[in-house]
Amino acid sequence: MTIVGGDGRTHISSQLMRESLQDRDVLARTDSDRDFHIFPDVSLVSIGGQSIFDRGKVAILPLVDELVQIKADKKLKLVIGVGGGTRVRHTMSIALDLGLPVGGVAQLVGAMEELNAILLNTLLAPHGSMPLQREHFWDLPLYFDAGITPIAISVPPYHFWEPPPEEGHVPMHGSDFGLFQLAEVLSMKQLIFVKDEDGLYNKDPKRHKDAQLISKITLDDLMKDLPQENILDLQLFHAWKSAKNLRRVQIVNGLVPGQLARALKGEDVGTVIIKENVR
Amino acid sequence: MSERRTLESALSGSTLTGPSSAINYRPVAVMPDVKVVKIGGQSILDRGRAALFPILEEVIAARKLGIQVVLLAGGGTRARHIYSIASELEIPTGVVATLGKYIPMQNARMLQMLLAKHGGIYMLPDDFEKLPLYLQLGCIPVMSGMPPFGYWEKHEEGSRIPPHRTDSGVFLSAEFLGARRAIFIKDEDGLYTDDPKKNPSATHIPRTTVKELAARALPDLVVERVVLEYMPRARWCKELQIVNGLKPGQVLAALKGEDVGTLITA
Repeated sequence: MTIVGGDGRTHISSQLMRESLQDRDVLARTDSDRDFHIFPDVSLVSIGGQSIFDRGKVAILPLVDELVQIKADKKLKLVIGVGGGTRVRHTMSIALDLGLPVGGVAQLVGAMEELNAILLNTLLAPHGSMPLQREHFWDLPLYFDAGITPIAISVPPYHFWEPPPEEGHVPMHGSDFGLFQLAEVLSMKQLIFVKDEDGLYNKDPKRHKDAQLISKITLDDLMKDLPQENILDLQLFHAWKSAKNLRRVQIVNGLVPGQLARALKGEDVGTVIIKENVR
Repeated sequence: MSERRTLESALSGSTLTGPSSAINYRPVAVMPDVKVVKIGGQSILDRGRAALFPILEEVIAARKLGIQVVLLAGGGTRARHIYSIASELEIPTGVVATLGKYIPMQNARMLQMLLAKHGGIYMLPDDFEKLPLYLQLGCIPVMSGMPPFGYWEKHEEGSRIPPHRTDSGVFLSAEFLGARRAIFIKDEDGLYTDDPKKNPSATHIPRTTVKELAARALPDLVVERVVLEYMPRARWCKELQIVNGLKPGQVLAALKGEDVGTLITA
């Protein structure tokens, strides 16, 4: 490597030396259609806040039992994330009534899902689980070797720096997006959302009796008519559209015993969304 | 089957995926009088002492006048170097963004050491809530300009480089604090009709709008694209000021609120 001067600035020679990182042509030189794949055999499972945890014991304990059975397969590499549920919505309504900035709201909400993470970890700990610290992904191989199931933080660390939302005042980058991004950057095998519906419908099945379940669909087809009343954050789909690594997102019903286990085996239960032309 | 046990609130029925009309939102500015200032990486810090020391003198002078200043550091050539090597290795954007945190952090620490005897305090993103204390004590808080997204930074089509870098961090800090203007100290007077380093007949543009910049559809831009995307929908930060740190007096004038350099408004 060479140190280059002459214009008053000291540069290190590289492809990007002196270049504007806003220049589209310069940026294009840095990209390719693939990423190095970090953990391609790991599955990420998200357990819903409103849909599961807010229902209490009757919904949580059967799912914990199912997770314990799933963990019996020592080859399965599993990371769990959780949603925050109704307390997140309560936090936001108070914070927005107070007029806090969007970054302030984003900074607050993570604490509510952390409560669910602690609850779940308390119940799973006797069978081997541990909270995963924010960026400690590099410990994952150790966790798996030891038979420990890590429980990751779902809300992304956008915090005070949450960008202004496209509409309204609610932060755009919530826990669904956070877990998506975790699965994407680590190029995981699949991301499974455990909810209280059989999957994604064309409109909210809790409000519309004629809502239709979408069983298997490509991301491209789904984006043509993306359901606006969506069981997942819309930001997830937008980010996934310009992503490179994650191929499969599945939504299953956590109130139906066995659905999560079947999804982890690769069965098409619930809703399966596939991004084509990755890997 | 069990019911969801829901806390009643204005958003309790909401999926949080669309617009929220249920609340009459009357925003509160957190610290609107703070001057949020970026010191450029490639443009200033990579020039070393000759460029930086006079700028710091003006920042100290402003602080002595009672002006509250927060400094955020850019990256520069070392960031370009690691981005270049990481790109060859096809490292995912989220990891590249994490690598990108380290150089502005070094630069912020350098600034802190130089400003220590005048109250320079190094802040991590997690220390952001201590800002009122530092400013009331008369300190000059210094932090990295990089937003803390790291591994959670999205890939943008047509680039492996993180779209949110130190310009975004500076703008988003100003927006959170409720400051109307973010100030960028660079090595040029702001915007020109063409690149003044390559075309000597390029003329200076003292004032422009995000709309005008977008209409020109330039392949290159003076600030990160996402900042121009966010500004129109921002609540507070509606102005970017680009000033020439190599021209004596410009930084102090900008900190006093004068319209030197180029102003980009939304």
